[in-house]
Amino acid sequence: MPEQPIRAVEAEGDFAVSMTGVSMRFGTVQALDKVDLHVKRGTVHALVGENGAGKTTLMRILYGALQADEGEVRLDGKPVQFRTSKQAIESGIGMVSQHYGIIPDMTCLQNLMLGAEGGPILDPKAESRAEELARRMGFQFNWRRKAESLSPGGAQKLEILKLLWRNARIMILDEPTAMLSPSDGDALFASLKKLAGQGATVILVTHRLPEVLDHCSTVTVLRGGLRVAEKTVKETNGRELAQLIVGGSIAEPPALTAEVGASVLHVQDLTVSGERGHDALRSVSVRVGSGEIVGIAGVDGSGQRELFQAIAGLIRPRAGQIAIAGFDAQTASSRQRIALGLRIIPEDRHEEGLIEDWSLEENAALSLQRLSPFARGLAVDVKGREAAAAAIAERFDTKHGGLKLPVRSLSGGNQQRFVAARALFLSPKAILAFQPARGLDLNSTTRVYEGIREACKGGAGALVVSFDLDELLEYCDRIVVMNRGEMFHPDPDHARDRDQIGRLMVSAS
Amino acid sequence: MPARQPLAWLKEGWALWVLVAGSVLVVYGALLLVQAPPRQTGIDLVVGSLGSAHAISGTLNEVTPLLISGIAVFLGLKAGLFNIGVEGQFTIGALAATLVALRLPGPVGMVGAVIAGMAAGGLIALPAGAIKAYRGGHEVITTIMLNNVVGLIATALVAGPLKAPNAESPETSSISASSHLPDLIHIGNLEINGGLLIGVLVAIGLAVWLRRGVTGFELRAAGANPTAARFAGINQKLVILKAMTWSGAIGGLAGAVQVLGSQYYFTPDLSSGYGFDALGVALIAGGSPIGLIPSASLFGILHKGGTSIQLMDQVPKGIMYVVLGLLIVIAAAARYRKKLVSDG
Repeated sequence: MPEQPIRAVEAEGDFAVSMTGVSMRFGTVQALDKVDLHVKRGTVHALVGENGAGKTTLMRILYGALQADEGEVRLDGKPVQFRTSKQAIESGIGMVSQHYGIIPDMTCLQNLMLGAEGGPILDPKAESRAEELARRMGFQFNWRRKAESLSPGGAQKLEILKLLWRNARIMILDEPTAMLSPSDGDALFASLKKLAGQGATVILVTHRLPEVLDHCSTVTVLRGGLRVAEKTVKETNGRELAQLIVGGSIAEPPALTAEVGASVLHVQDLTVSGERGHDALRSVSVRVGSGEIVGIAGVDGSGQRELFQAIAGLIRPRAGQIAIAGFDAQTASSRQRIALGLRIIPEDRHEEGLIEDWSLEENAALSLQRLSPFARGLAVDVKGREAAAAAIAERFDTKHGGLKLPVRSLSGGNQQRFVAARALFLSPKAILAFQPARGLDLNSTTRVYEGIREACKGGAGALVVSFDLDELLEYCDRIVVMNRGEMFHPDPDHARDRDQIGRLMVSAS
Repeated sequence: MPARQPLAWLKEGWALWVLVAGSVLVVYGALLLVQAPPRQTGIDLVVGSLGSAHAISGTLNEVTPLLISGIAVFLGLKAGLFNIGVEGQFTIGALAATLVALRLPGPVGMVGAVIAGMAAGGLIALPAGAIKAYRGGHEVITTIMLNNVVGLIATALVAGPLKAPNAESPETSSISASSHLPDLIHIGNLEINGGLLIGVLVAIGLAVWLRRGVTGFELRAAGANPTAARFAGINQKLVILKAMTWSGAIGGLAGAVQVLGSQYYFTPDLSSGYGFDALGVALIAGGSPIGLIPSASLFGILHKGGTSIQLMDQVPKGIMYVVLGLLIVIAAAARYRKKLVSDG
């Protein structure tokens, strides 16, 4: 693990931000472990790492939204301790989060001033000041128009102006290009460089290596709450960074050997339109044979959600084919796909997998409600459902106080076990599992994957999304990678090669 | 419905009891304000609504339209829809039933009138369902607007082409006695028309369907958690469309039954607010359609009793709306409270 010495030769004062030995623990999870971050004034500094590496936590500490358990934060060499974001803002720190804070119903000007009014709201000079600020950045805004008319790129620019309006000198941008088209992204980086040239300091939280290599001067890599490296961008390359981000396990997990039979799920050239103009899925193809578990690696938001929803029949693809259990499911409804044997362990069990006010018994039938033993024709089979619910609860030891009690009364882990067991209950053919082990301890995780494995031995095939590469390497036969809406298939000799998978996850497509 | 710890909310619900006690005080105060003796008024209310065979008949006559309209609202609520349009569906259903019964006498006419009433109610609700399902337009807005559409159409028709030849006020001719709904019970002064039986049967049928029918299960799922319903292979939009249409059809049934069983001719103000009272009936019914029966009875008692205290004690009937309003506030508070408790 490359550990670089802190550059003691440089005076403390050169750093706009200097965080040393920052640790943070949430319950049993060590989110950050003695992390250092040193950001030079007037630079664009990248902070990279996988989902859950601790990037956002570290930034929220800097922004005063979280208080670190230990560690020191210095701004321009002077120690600071923020208890609220307000104090951070007053010290010149600004943060744009992944989700825009723009209110569509208000004008651009009102949005700009929102929360930073200070003086009278109807300041007649506000518009000219806003205009002046925009000109400095080379932006153009029609200040009196409603913000709903803004493109994603425009909204992002307005967010940056909001920071400048508050006199931010240090700007934190969390995944700013997630919603932007490539050209909007380029324009954003041009403005960030301009800001850095004017003396501002930018911290860019990102998954995307091309952004780091093309637009940043320094990069800090976090992995599992540890700072694993800090590099000058000129002295590193994409390959090395990808390796640092994903890490290397000491022993490569042994290749699993599944007997792969006929295809149970076949997706060909699937294209799905996204919400913001660019495609959420671009010509994605993947084939899952009976008997195998295929893992989808990739950072969050690479199109995994859209792929699952398209396969489930919840969103309509613009082009491409889907076959389930050998049948063309192109025009099939979600219900027909379930009848063909498609089962889902959804990402969000509260919203997508359960009705929390309902009993375990009724939830056991959810998605299987038209199939035997849950129904006889169009009548609910109460006895059959009761027995099935008991079996589902027993499968992974869901702890419950009674099958008639609302699912709400279960803990999150027990709910997850219940949802996973339900998907495996009724002779599944094709299993879609989105982080099936979410919120489970190691033992339960293994049991759920063993359950999926068992179903696969019985003729099913599974497609599993996880943001934890180690989990996928451990339990899947084969790994494919999604990146910005595209599917990449590592060549068969390296299908379990961390480096190659890591590169595909974070490189430009 | 989830099984709850029996009476747990009673023990924790002290705030609710404060609310109930406060409501009693408000009604007491209101009676003092109109200079009515509260005790005597209370007695007259009960005697006027339940004190004699005649009074009971009158109360049940009120219960029937309240119950069936309440079922219409209840069905919508289970699918996550707030059907404020029952008043209009009631009116158009009554109008359609009258038109058929006027042309087609006898039992065939009666059955035809019921079907016509349901079809008309369903058709007038359909656009609200379609707009909700496929365009996201809120059903409260669209159904309120459709209430006005129906009201104005009915008024225009009855003032013009459908007006009875010799009538002075805007009303249609009376339907033939051969197509009246048969009486369920007719012993002396105790008269209960068949409409009540229809209401009770529909409520029971709905309860069974929601519990034991796969499509009933799917409708409840779509109402309880639309996203989870979609993931469960339920065409949530189609469920909304169907639920709104059937809710309207039952609203239409309420109107048809009112004409065939009680009024025997149509006037635009036939409903006199049953469709709106139905919102309260459904709200305090609780989780099962069976609860609509006591809830509609309570409303019926207050309606009938309210009329008699107006006659006997010169207490404005409006006082009953104060009581109903408070009841609804209490029911809403209880319901919201349960939610908070279980969320916590």
